[in-house]
Amino acid sequence: MRSAPPKKLLQTGATQGDGRRAWRGYAAAVTLVAAATGLGVLGRRQLALPDFVMLYLLSIMVAAALYGRGPALVASTMSVLAYDFFFIPPFFTFVVDDQRHILTFVMMFVVGLLFSGLTQRVRRHEQRATEALLRARTEEMRSALLSAMSHDLRTPLAAITGAATTLRERAEVTSGDDKAELLDTICEEAERLERLVRNLLDMTRLESGALVVNRDWVPLEEIVGGALTRLERQLGDRPVRTSLPADLPLVSVDAILLEQLFVNLLENAAKYTPAGSLLELSAHTDGPAVVVELADRGPGLPAGNETRVFEKFYRGQHHGPPGAGLGLAICLGIAHAHGGSLIAENRPGGGAVFRLTLPQQGRPPSVPPEADSEPGRELAEPAS
Amino acid sequence: MSPVDPLVLVVEDEPQMRRFLRASLTSHGFRVAEADTADEAIATATSQSPEMILLDLGLPDRDGIDLAREIRGWSRVPIIVISARGRETDKVEALDAGADDYLTKPFGVNELLARIRASLRRSREPATGTSPVIEIGALRIDLVRREVTMDGQPLHLTPIEYRLLALLAQNAGRVLTQRQILEEVWGRGHAAQNHYVRVYMAQLRRKIERDPARPRFLVTEPGVGYRLRDQPVPSAERAGAREG
Repeated sequence: MRSAPPKKLLQTGATQGDGRRAWRGYAAAVTLVAAATGLGVLGRRQLALPDFVMLYLLSIMVAAALYGRGPALVASTMSVLAYDFFFIPPFFTFVVDDQRHILTFVMMFVVGLLFSGLTQRVRRHEQRATEALLRARTEEMRSALLSAMSHDLRTPLAAITGAATTLRERAEVTSGDDKAELLDTICEEAERLERLVRNLLDMTRLESGALVVNRDWVPLEEIVGGALTRLERQLGDRPVRTSLPADLPLVSVDAILLEQLFVNLLENAAKYTPAGSLLELSAHTDGPAVVVELADRGPGLPAGNETRVFEKFYRGQHHGPPGAGLGLAICLGIAHAHGGSLIAENRPGGGAVFRLTLPQQGRPPSVPPEADSEPGRELAEPAS
Repeated sequence: MSPVDPLVLVVEDEPQMRRFLRASLTSHGFRVAEADTADEAIATATSQSPEMILLDLGLPDRDGIDLAREIRGWSRVPIIVISARGRETDKVEALDAGADDYLTKPFGVNELLARIRASLRRSREPATGTSPVIEIGALRIDLVRREVTMDGQPLHLTPIEYRLLALLAQNAGRVLTQRQILEEVWGRGHAAQNHYVRVYMAQLRRKIERDPARPRFLVTEPGVGYRLRDQPVPSAERAGAREG
């Protein structure tokens, strides 16, 4: 049905409730006409015929503006009939004594028709404009992606090519120190490329909806530990204080995805905060949810723009090695895939804190208690 | 290079990967045989009896997991599978099918050599079992007296914790899947579930690791299993630290 209000359609982006919404439009048109009639009947003593006509025109206009062409036509027809029935003598019949009223009916109907046509046109323009805006935004995103990618992929490639060709062409004249430097460049840049490709693949998987969350009951400590182990080299000797309560319940998550989330969060923190500044990772329960926080003492987030860090291709101002600006967007995607949330805010005293909330469903499974020692033998007691 | 150098069979269909593996292995004292299909791999494995097989799971003619299972049917040669990130279920399948360890592309030569050496060391051990005392850094496990000490201090472990640690120590440097651990520690057919392994591993870490959230001994291989490092990591490992 064409009568579903396109404006609402665009807002919700859904077409499923289309039929029901159309039906509601018609019901509303009937109600509007009934209301106009009611008002007219109540104000019969005070009002004159032209006032009734205006009341009906008003209801037609409202129906046209809010519900589109179909309901507007219904409102027009109903208005003509009701006007005739209730207000044109002889009352409560459709008989018309004075032929002049026929002209009013026709005009009422024509006005209704014109209104509905007009609103339809306005709507169509609006829809086209919105579509054009969306197209332009997608285009903008695509070119941003392309330029970000071409720069980010080319930079490490250029460095690798340069270093490798130098080593090949000038092997005999390059000093030991220079050689080591060039080799380090190749290794580091290759790692960076790997990270970029990984992020791109993760983002693509998240956006295409191909991501499957394989939930299992896991101690949070194991996931955090996995992330910290993977980042051993990148974190170097930067202090990371983890405080995970020993009685934290098992969490039902996809361990691989959640580890990736922590890897990205920690990488981000390592990149945007001064070397040597403390990172604090803590967790607590909040009702049925488990909350994990990563707090840093870096420059913090631009006030009022804290959520922008989760946008794709958003990069903060820093002078470190550039990334594609996908890491945190992936974190957010993984949090959402778990039905959780991830927010960022500034800390009192400077720095940023990222708070991951993982709502938990169901009771963590238990492990049967173990006899403290094997029959006949106390284990691992000191040898004497 | 001499005939006594260990022979490594590289089963890989991508020429640039073969080139890298050939160059790095020969420069570290291995002999290298190459195969780019599963059929060729079987032919070479039977005719040349390599001491180690590096097997890429993405072969053109056959499923690499299948190939690993087939080779394991008639040979105990260590197999290290090579696969991409995001293929964790493949890795687990290959390990459960008899592969000894895995490497995730891209990997560096240090990682490659560490895996090969750990696998070779195990395959060369006499079939009667590992040595009765395993020492990994400050961690010492006496399998005969069933004693575990850290820095000379005895650790009090529960029977399951001990069995878990002993199993990992006997396979030091090698990854063990959840299923392998469940079968070995709780027994085949036991109703134990994956989270048992995780819970006991967490308990064990609390007793062994200085900071259980930054493990130096018991590392998790996400989606695959656990590994007891055979070379302890200094508490503040420097970037680019080299092993071997």
